[in-house]
Amino acid sequence: MRARVQLLLLLFFAVGSAAVSARPVSYVGGWTFIEESNRQSTAALIHYTPSPSWSLGLRNEWVRDADYAITSLQPTYLLKRWFGQEYQANVYLQGGLGVASGTSGNPMSSTTAATAGVIADWETRRFFLGYNARYIDAGHFGDNAMQLVRMGWAPYEGDTQDLHTWLMLEIDHRPESADSVSVTPLLRFFRGPALLEVGFNIVDPTPLINFTYRF
Amino acid sequence: MNTITRSLIPLLFILLSTPAWSQHGQEHQHEHEHEHEESVSDSAAGVASAAPATGRLTITPEIEIALANGGTAVVADVLGVVCDFCAVAMNKIFGKQEEVAAVYVDLDTKALNLVFKPGASLDDDAIAALAVQAGYRIAAVHRSPVVLGS
Repeated sequence: MRARVQLLLLLFFAVGSAAVSARPVSYVGGWTFIEESNRQSTAALIHYTPSPSWSLGLRNEWVRDADYAITSLQPTYLLKRWFGQEYQANVYLQGGLGVASGTSGNPMSSTTAATAGVIADWETRRFFLGYNARYIDAGHFGDNAMQLVRMGWAPYEGDTQDLHTWLMLEIDHRPESADSVSVTPLLRFFRGPALLEVGFNIVDPTPLINFTYRF
Repeated sequence: MNTITRSLIPLLFILLSTPAWSQHGQEHQHEHEHEHEESVSDSAAGVASAAPATGRLTITPEIEIALANGGTAVVADVLGVVCDFCAVAMNKIFGKQEEVAAVYVDLDTKALNLVFKPGASLDDDAIAALAVQAGYRIAAVHRSPVVLGS
């Protein structure tokens, strides 16, 4: 019940902001708010980009089934960006260092937590291909790893300030989960500084709701 | 979880029906003026050399006003511009420059359209450096009168 309330509050906040993203490094001086909710966790991140090659964020992630949450500082480094007239591709390294604390009555004491990950994407105005791998070490709360690939196709090429619509398919691999591999079809809506993704995991029945807004 | 799922559908419809997400609220009438590819400068630091230049100005209401006020236009071909976040980044970075009267990033032409205030300008190096701050790279810079066809 509490999980439902928190998820609905997140969704309400997302809709109330009237707008959601993808790239973890923004323009110099830019702030980005990101909300992510998938079959394992619900997270909120706000980050600031002081340089074209890195950003620093504050992330709170609630690992729902394991009843703990991590609050961490999350630096992201743009390792490499390829430019083309029709495409852009990126490889990012992402870290995190913070505190893991029990939730939902979990009596375990707080402990240091660390995360590490890599994000890669290739994108044109019609096609998207992405990969993300991440490892969480939350001390006595446990550790887990995940990786996912995402493919996307835009049925039309929206111009600036148009509503951009993407049909996407995400396949994730979480070795610790009962369903170690799952599939999530999703829709991405994108306009101006806002991006919203709504999907549903068809293997481990859970909604996916991601929202990004750039300031 | 079923409650959550059921709640998503009406919320999605509400979201899509708001003006912020609607294409009908689109303000810009694009009038791409196709011009020659002369006057291309690719000597600036950070300016890539591979991409073909287009050199066409996209006319938006803001650009039209800025031109009417005596501003000069520049069109820069940008590499890697594939989404609205790219446009937002360029608009934010260039929009803060005091020399700039109007800015518009056109995803269709992959071009940064700038109109400077009367008597003001940014050189190619400055435009390239600002594009890097936004996370992108300039392929070529076209300056008026070529971009205006005069």
